[in-house]
Amino acid sequence: MRTIFAMGGGGFTMEPHNPALDEFILSLSRRREPRILHLPTAGGDQDPQIAAFHATFGDRACEAAHLSLFRLGGTGPVHLRDLVLHQDIVYVGGGSMRLMLAIWREYGLDAILREAWRRGVILAGLSAGAMCWFTGGVTKSTGVPEPVEGLGLLEGSLTVHADGEPERLPVFERAVADGTLPPGYAADDGCGLLFRGEHFERAVSSRPDARAWHVEPDGAGGVRKTPLLPTYLPSAGRADRTTPPDILEFRRERRGRAG
Amino acid sequence: MTRPPQIVAFGGGGFSMESGNPLLDDHVLGLTGVQRPKVCFIPTASGDADHYVVRFYRRFSTIADTSHLSLFRRDRGGGAVEGDIESHLMAQDLIYVGGGSVLSLIGAWMAHGIDRILERCWRAGVVLCGLSAGSLCWFREALTAFHGPPEVVRGVGLLPWSNCVHYDAEPERAVEFRAAIASGQLCSGYGADDGAALHFVGGDLAEVVTSRERARACRVEGVGGEAIETALQTRYLGATAVPLAA
Repeated sequence: MRTIFAMGGGGFTMEPHNPALDEFILSLSRRREPRILHLPTAGGDQDPQIAAFHATFGDRACEAAHLSLFRLGGTGPVHLRDLVLHQDIVYVGGGSMRLMLAIWREYGLDAILREAWRRGVILAGLSAGAMCWFTGGVTKSTGVPEPVEGLGLLEGSLTVHADGEPERLPVFERAVADGTLPPGYAADDGCGLLFRGEHFERAVSSRPDARAWHVEPDGAGGVRKTPLLPTYLPSAGRADRTTPPDILEFRRERRGRAG
Repeated sequence: MTRPPQIVAFGGGGFSMESGNPLLDDHVLGLTGVQRPKVCFIPTASGDADHYVVRFYRRFSTIADTSHLSLFRRDRGGGAVEGDIESHLMAQDLIYVGGGSVLSLIGAWMAHGIDRILERCWRAGVVLCGLSAGSLCWFREALTAFHGPPEVVRGVGLLPWSNCVHYDAEPERAVEFRAAIASGQLCSGYGADDGAALHFVGGDLAEVVTSRERARACRVEGVGGEAIETALQTRYLGATAVPLAA
């Protein structure tokens, strides 16, 4: 099943003490220990973000890895297609959408991710890593918000941080109203939109007041916004957690066999 | 002041690779002909890594008017150049491009039109320099081997040659480079060791300077299905050690 989970903001980079959206991402895979690959390209593959990813997913029930395009080759050749298609989940970080897509193209990663999606690898991400799956979005890659083209796996547009960066939403609404961007979605920080196939299925949130809307032209030069009513996730706001004992046992077993 | 278009392409070296050896960096500062040059650092190939930017300022901020261009964090006000990038870069005496991933650098520059701006800077006499990815980027093409067999990557193309950096330190890279030139996959070009810098005026090599006495550079020509390597004359920038009397 083709699956995309697009977050307006949130997850380990933005709300490290609130695991709700990250746990929801893991729950999208049917595997007990899904393979999850982090792509931090949009932020320039910065070490603190990569460390935060491993801190969040390292002792959860998954096999966590990251792909740093800026440091490829340092540890021998990497077969990008094999690596990506081998995953259950690809989790794309935020940052500059324009740079991320331009760099992906240089490595042919745009085509690989498209293939991965068709083959059922779950694509998740926030901000640039959420908008990139749509026809277009609103980026601040040059400092000011402006419409930008995405990979177009999902028809429609998305704008993120609707509450956290309020300067984006008016630019998005104007672009949808005048047809620069197709009708689409706006999501607050803490809200994620789940798409199955090409269709919106539901919205979930890690914050009780996070909202999302479907946005379309109203035929009179403006837009019509329809609230999507996200489901507040049960693990939202939970700061501490313990690794389940059976996972710990599994890891000990695996280490034992490897050693 | 008017300067000809100049590029100094380090095989490796400068503050990022040989801290404590000021020779290559001092040489490019000298090429500006200005007492206190304006120097802008472009760390794109590292993903604008903070620690790299800090090392640049540590090296140059006392002797030059320094700035840096961060393409990844243009929306956060991280102290980098904002607004009109072209006017800022055109006003520099020296633009210094850091090392890292050349493919990522090229993609990022093209997304923001930085390649075209740098060409205008070069024509206007802003000295361009860099090491590793920051050296490869100026040439027509180079090799990258991040996933299996080496592939040709196209640079900004101000210099109509190919380039291979770390020529001594990564011998496999040099072997692949010569093979690609022999087969015609790459155009003829230059190999430079760590500590060797190719100084081009316009598209022509003017001289090879080095920060290490043993650093070498060579011209590699494709002739009849073979790669002919010719060593180039070098000029060591430091004081030559006086042999100790026996």
